[in-house]
Amino acid sequence: MWEQVEQSLHSSMVRVMNQVATLLPGILAFIVAFLLFLLIGWLVALVVRRLLMLFRFDERMGRGANAIAEWSPRATPSMLVSRVVFWCFVTAGVMVGVSAFEAGTSEHVVSQWILGYVPRIAGAAVLLLAGNVLARFVSRSVLITGVNLNLSYARLLSMGARWMILVLTGAMVLDHLALGGEIVELGFGILFGGIVLALSLAVGLGSRDLVSRSLEREAARPVDVPQPEQIHHF
Amino acid sequence: MAAIELSEETKREVERIGSADLVVGIAGAVAADELRSRVEPIVAELGSGLASLRIVFTWAGPASGEATGGDAEENAGRRMALLPFTPPASASGEFWAGVSAHQRTILAVAASLNARACIVLGADLAALQTHVLQLFAYAVLDRQCVAAMPVYPAGRYDGLINTGILSPLNRALFGKRIHYPIAFDFAASGGMCGQFLRQSASSNGTGQPLLWPVTLAATQFPQQGIGEVHVNVHHRVAAEGLELSAVLSQIVGSLFQEMEQYAPQWQRVRGSQATPVWGNAPAERSGGEAADPQPMLDSFLLGSRNLDEVWRLILPPNVLMELRRLTRVAPDAFRMPDELWACIVYDFALAYRLRTISRVHLLGALTPLYLGWVASYIQEVSQLGGAALEQRHEQLARAWEEKKPYLLSRWRWPDRFNP
Repeated sequence: MWEQVEQSLHSSMVRVMNQVATLLPGILAFIVAFLLFLLIGWLVALVVRRLLMLFRFDERMGRGANAIAEWSPRATPSMLVSRVVFWCFVTAGVMVGVSAFEAGTSEHVVSQWILGYVPRIAGAAVLLLAGNVLARFVSRSVLITGVNLNLSYARLLSMGARWMILVLTGAMVLDHLALGGEIVELGFGILFGGIVLALSLAVGLGSRDLVSRSLEREAARPVDVPQPEQIHHF
Repeated sequence: MAAIELSEETKREVERIGSADLVVGIAGAVAADELRSRVEPIVAELGSGLASLRIVFTWAGPASGEATGGDAEENAGRRMALLPFTPPASASGEFWAGVSAHQRTILAVAASLNARACIVLGADLAALQTHVLQLFAYAVLDRQCVAAMPVYPAGRYDGLINTGILSPLNRALFGKRIHYPIAFDFAASGGMCGQFLRQSASSNGTGQPLLWPVTLAATQFPQQGIGEVHVNVHHRVAAEGLELSAVLSQIVGSLFQEMEQYAPQWQRVRGSQATPVWGNAPAERSGGEAADPQPMLDSFLLGSRNLDEVWRLILPPNVLMELRRLTRVAPDAFRMPDELWACIVYDFALAYRLRTISRVHLLGALTPLYLGWVASYIQEVSQLGGAALEQRHEQLARAWEEKKPYLLSRWRWPDRFNP
């Protein structure tokens, strides 16, 4: 009996090794194609960047460059173009690698699934990046404006703005990746609706007395005669 | 510097007049009749030196046919002409951008007329006085100054952005002890007007929205002097509706842009030179009651509680530590050392250049720090007056000069100071 078990294990092992051996050329082809495109992408991006610097692309972009720098301060237009070129090559490398994998093996399911899913992943990555940049920019804007308006809850506002955008981005990314199905939409709807309802209740019920007292005070206050300011900044 | 393009109507007017010795420009729109009624007695009063000059008064207004009724022709015999110019397209910009757009157009008109000197005055016409014109003309025409800037009579708490940032920073950078580096009124030599026109023509039209006459004079004509004249005028600034942070961003941001543009020039400058001042200093303005620093102090403390994450990206650790120490002192003892304030502004200038964070955010984050300095300053000067106040300003400016090596080091090797 022991011999039978051993034989059965041996034959399984042989089958696994055969499978791995069948997949190996494909994996190797994928890695080689990917690394090759990575290298070409890096070189082409470097050349593009040098050429753009040579032609003073950033200076020629003028106001456009300033607009990019406002959102992502350390990025210049030439850097942006060279990065786009690099990532195009990386994506092409993945595509070619998958095709090479397909050619190297008899497995077509994996490559079909990957090729079908790559555009979704790329779209989701762009969404995630844009959402993060937007969240950072908006939260910082709200924080600084709030502080300059002397709002003691400026940080709270800033965090609220940041998380609203991040949650929205997260939901959009999951939706784009077709993960979670209706749960994401439902969960997002409940979360957003809950936040708005909570805020409405907080202002409507919790601060009712405060608002009415404030309005009464405003109505009762005598009309102020504007006093000349003692301090002149400009 | 933005490119200046005179309108066709203005060019026609300029061609009609031909040339001028002195151009007096009003940086804004004024009624032609009012201007004429103000100008005629002034021209009559001008002394013998100026009476022989051909003077052109220019202002933002409608085309000559409607506004002046052909004054340019009519007054040619009297060696005076009125020349309205089409308001520049960017004249509707916020706060100082509109003033600067008009000032640039006036310099361009003066250059087109090959004027020997150009005097620019504020649109409220407060400085349109005989002795002011005489002083400016004297500084530029007789004393050969490339530019003449005004010295306004200021109270203890007036023009604090200028006192706290613009004047000391300009002095430290360009080595000229000028009280008001950006002003409603100033005079420029014909050479400077021409240089301005050439420089703006060679720019790609995407530059500096504000005009800094002192920077232009100090960088393009380093061998020629800049003078100052006492102008006993108090301009009305429509402060209603203006937000401090927006104004601070506009003006200080513009100066930081100048720093970036003229870095090779100001890095060579060491120390500063006194500038000749003409005219009589007006009597000291009464200071009134001492101002309450508490609101400014509260803004600074609120900023230090909330903006730490932003300041950390801009300021080096030792400056942050000093700021944290300041948040713990009693309000009455709150004093921001001049050296610390100079370092803060220098660090912001560097971050502006390196685009460490968005420039809008960067300049917004400066406001609470500026208010901290204001709180400290008004506590210090509440009992000072006249000479003591002037001495305090001198002390502040010297501290900025002494800290210039720090700016130079950081500008050249920005990463050395960061952990």
